[in-house]
Amino acid sequence: MNAPVEKPSASAAGARTLAWDGPTRLFKWSLVLLVFDGWLSNTVGGAYPAWHKWNGYLALTLILFRVLWGFVGGSTARFTNFIALPGRAFAYLRATLAGRPQKYLGHNPLGGWMVMALLGLVGLQAVSGLFAADEDRLVIDGPFVKFVSDATVSFAAKWHHRIFDAIEILVLLHVAANLFATFVKREPLIQGMATGYKPVEPYADEARARPGSWAAAAVCLAIAAAVVFGGILAAGGRL
Amino acid sequence: MKLVFRTMLITAAAAIAISGAYAQSAAIAKRKDILKGVGDATKPVAAMLKGEAPFDNAKAQKALATYASAAKELKGLFPADSKTGGDTAALPKIWDEKAKFDAIFDKLAADATAAAGAIKDEASLKANFGKVLGNCKACHDDYRAKKS
Ligand code: HEC
Ligand code: HEM
Repeated sequence: MNAPVEKPSASAAGARTLAWDGPTRLFKWSLVLLVFDGWLSNTVGGAYPAWHKWNGYLALTLILFRVLWGFVGGSTARFTNFIALPGRAFAYLRATLAGRPQKYLGHNPLGGWMVMALLGLVGLQAVSGLFAADEDRLVIDGPFVKFVSDATVSFAAKWHHRIFDAIEILVLLHVAANLFATFVKREPLIQGMATGYKPVEPYADEARARPGSWAAAAVCLAIAAAVVFGGILAAGGRL
Repeated sequence: MKLVFRTMLITAAAAIAISGAYAQSAAIAKRKDILKGVGDATKPVAAMLKGEAPFDNAKAQKALATYASAAKELKGLFPADSKTGGDTAALPKIWDEKAKFDAIFDKLAADATAAAGAIKDEASLKANFGKVLGNCKACHDDYRAKKS
């Protein structure tokens, strides 16, 4: 058996190009963990409401970070680069169904909408949690519960449950699409989001991502945290 | 004579049916009443846990004693004929898994008794009371219909 010969020159077959900068990847995998932990802390953490609440504050902070990062982050993380007009999204869907989709370095036109939907829903999930409480108003309540009517709390709790159902469905779709692309279509999307690099290909959007800076990311994160934690405290809520 | 007998029979049948229905709704009303008491006993402790009220061990001990006695009594208040027949949030699943359901009451009673011995001040309240309350959620998540 011959070991595969590694060619030192960047041949088209082995060459890789930057797709996702560090802050974007760190954000992405952190959000995965926080959404999972949001579920976990509710399922087995009924005795520790602070676990679920702090997890939720962090999730909200990250979502806000991502919104800011969508304007000043790396090129593939910017909203202007991946929010496609519905016409383009449908054209991409048709091409995919016909088996000949174009390849994108960043999000493809459908994937971009999935990203927006996931960010939006996780954001709404966290915001609804701020106003939600358990049915008997005994064990867990968000910091804004004491400022709103009982009916509002019930409404928020109801949507906190429903939105999570929607998140579960979208996450399943999102994971299925990425597993399909990675293992059936052999387009290493998952590795790309893990390492930041993807194979060089004639991508439809750009050939190489321009990374955002860690300093800008730190500023975005600081602003997001200040808005979430400062906002709750300034409103007089207890974390 | 025949008519009298028939009337008596019908009356008896009706009486049995009504008392049966009454027994069901009585079990439902009784358990809801006890659970409401459990909730009321919890309220002052919930306020302490959130830091909204000062530590008061008497209230904590009273809540724990309420849980221990309520848990024992409640096990007998979910008879098979009380699935419906009144305004109840109890899910039918209870009667498919009655042993599992009752085991949560046992655990609540055991945890409450253990916590009663352990709680002496605010720190031990915060360290021990949450575990007891975890049983409420564990049961409600699986066996109680959500209003919302
Ligand atoms: C083993 C199961 C179980 C455990 C443990 C349990 N509950 Fe419940 N609880 C129920 C069920 C079932 C209902 C719905 C009863 C009905 O509507 O018939 C209920 C209803 C309630 C209600 C509403 C009563 C009403 O007014 O209708 C309150 C309040 C409540 N529980 C509080 C608690 C608290 C606090 C704890 C923990 C200390 C607790 N429960 C532990 C099963 C449980
Ligand atoms: C992205 C962040 C969050 C996720 C993924 C999440 C997830 C969940 C889930 C899965 C449930 C259970 C729903 C059900 O039983 O159907 C839940 C319940 C709840 N969460 Fe969150 N949550 C988040 C943020 C928050 C925040 C920020 C708060 C408030 C500080 C909060 C407060 C609550 C409350 C009060 C409940 C109700 C428990 C009950 O009904 O008994 N959550 N959450």
